[in-house]
Amino acid sequence: MRTRRIIYAADALILLLLAAGISGQAPTQGGPLTVLSRDGRRPLPTVELQGRQMVGLDDLATLFQLQIREDAAAGAVTATYKTQTLVLTPDQSLVSASGRLVSLPSPLVRQGRRWLVPIEFISRALAPIYDVRLELRPASRLLIVGDLRVPRVAVQYDDGPALLRVTFEITPRANAVVTQEQGRLLVRIDGDTIDAVIPPAPAQQQMLSAIRAVEPNTVQMDLGPRFSTFRASPPVSIGAASVLTVELLAAGADSSAAPVAPALPVFAGAHRPTISTIVLDPGHGGDDNGVKGAGGALEKSVTLSVARRIKAVIEGRLGMRVLLTHQDDNRLDSAGRAALANNNKADLFISLHANGSPRPATRGATIFTLSLDRVGEDARRQSQADREVLQLFGGGTRDFSLVEWELAQAAHLDGSHAFAGILDQKLRTTAGLPSVSLQRAPMRNLAGANMPAVLIEMGYLSNAEEERLLTSTEFQGSLATAVTEAVVAFREYLEQGPRTPMPPTPAAQAQPPTP
Amino acid sequence: MRKPRDFFLYAGLGTLLGVALLVLFFLGPRWLTTPAPGAAAATASPAADTRKIHARLFYVNAEGTGLTSVEQEVVFGEGTVQQAKRLVEAQLATPAPPLASAIPQGTKLRTVFLTSKGEAYVDLSSELRANHPGGTTNEILTVYTLVSALTSNLPAVTGVQILVDGKEVDTLGGHLDLRRPIEQDLRWVTQ
Repeated sequence: MRTRRIIYAADALILLLLAAGISGQAPTQGGPLTVLSRDGRRPLPTVELQGRQMVGLDDLATLFQLQIREDAAAGAVTATYKTQTLVLTPDQSLVSASGRLVSLPSPLVRQGRRWLVPIEFISRALAPIYDVRLELRPASRLLIVGDLRVPRVAVQYDDGPALLRVTFEITPRANAVVTQEQGRLLVRIDGDTIDAVIPPAPAQQQMLSAIRAVEPNTVQMDLGPRFSTFRASPPVSIGAASVLTVELLAAGADSSAAPVAPALPVFAGAHRPTISTIVLDPGHGGDDNGVKGAGGALEKSVTLSVARRIKAVIEGRLGMRVLLTHQDDNRLDSAGRAALANNNKADLFISLHANGSPRPATRGATIFTLSLDRVGEDARRQSQADREVLQLFGGGTRDFSLVEWELAQAAHLDGSHAFAGILDQKLRTTAGLPSVSLQRAPMRNLAGANMPAVLIEMGYLSNAEEERLLTSTEFQGSLATAVTEAVVAFREYLEQGPRTPMPPTPAAQAQPPTP
Repeated sequence: MRKPRDFFLYAGLGTLLGVALLVLFFLGPRWLTTPAPGAAAATASPAADTRKIHARLFYVNAEGTGLTSVEQEVVFGEGTVQQAKRLVEAQLATPAPPLASAIPQGTKLRTVFLTSKGEAYVDLSSELRANHPGGTTNEILTVYTLVSALTSNLPAVTGVQILVDGKEVDTLGGHLDLRRPIEQDLRWVTQ
């Protein structure tokens, strides 16, 4: 009797193992890719197989006019487009594309009578031999065929008690226009269509009841019962993206600003409306020369000289306290520079550098703000979520948020971007720089700064003409004036909040709301 | 003497075992040898030494402010780590004009290793810092040459951390934060 039970149990175990083995092979259906072309949209079915998105060769053959042939003798499958042939081998991750090997994340597999390939086959193997541009965007499940303009649009929300700020980051740069009609706002973005990532609208303020992408190139915001009016900024170019900010105001909120008042991001945690202390950071120093110009000028000398001039002008004209991270030709590590600003409770941190490029002709100034990776983005969200208002001894309140020391800048990026935008204009108009660009990068000495912070590359020492300019007293004086004017404008911006108008970028447009 | 019922039980067990062996014989090998998601080509071949893959390598663009990608043949490497080494070595080689490399002359690859999260640690020789010309743009171009080469060609690589002489470094020349793996950022690639 006992023996029989053991045998039954063994039978059941074997059946279970068989079932598991077979189900391990079974594919599950994935969502289809959307194929975008001048002819419209159409779905391209995909299948999920062991965590990989696969697509049928037969579907690709129909879509892209491929001739699929099985070569039993060679144990291969060929896909021919016009005169070019792709050779795939079952269970191998390599594709021979007209004699060259292309790697795929998973091999060609057979499913019933169909052959399946990973979706990356389209971009890596098919696109190089195809006549028309093929762009695969796995994250948004799009396959773009031909020269369609499909900017990526990422939407973010930033809410206050009577205000909801909606930021649209459009990559690559494209113009956008905001209009109001029948209980909704429409953001029309230049492009044939858009690739939009739109998180659900925050519900608590009841200013935005829904938001969605509407064909072909519009984001539609359905307005909620508390909505009163809105302000829209012209798109601002930041790196490769255009950033458009739309502010929705609740009934009863201060809407005295002009209807088209461009809304710069509010400086997060702006508990002190004015600037009292500025830290200037002359790049490099000591045995760290930085860039060496073709004519022998050293970056460390240029930056220290300009920093001293800026300090003199700001202290003389504005009466603010200005500190340098190092007064003389000393070496200081990156962490120490931001720490000096933090320990002195500075309101603004400006790092001064001169640039270098492998191409001697490269010229122009660049203003850097910090870009965040995933860890930094988490820190930024955490800083917003954890913000608390605490009562101060003797009255008043102050915002507090806990952020890791080395990522302190994450909580101040809005202010940094605002100052960078102002500085960009002043360098062009006051210092007469013909070329200034705004960039974001993971800059080491900005990461720990617990205040708005920028790094200015004032020009290229590797360019002979700019080297002469950067070492000239006149130019250094005009840079000092431009930075001082930018500080004044930023102080006004902080005092007046988001109503402070910024001159629009040349390509920017924003239409006022209809009355 | 055994009962006939026991005989049928033993016969049933034997049949099931036979079917199980047959199924595993035909399906098992494919099931067991399917590469993990994201793994690079790992097919053994006697001609591996001479095989090449078609890869995107990155060089300084004409404006000197970004990178341009160029399709080139790179020596085939068995698995992600070996292929990563071959790609880095290809990037360290001096390119033929008019291409210009953002990697300082004399830099040598010490090793590459890959974490389970797909972060590639690229250990380079001290020439990377000692011969670096300085400047934020130069530093961005150097770092994103390596980041782009690995993340663009190897889907299993999610980020790249640069080590110098086996040690973590703050920056190359005082600008870019190298304390954590750098993620792909195509803003620095102009095509």
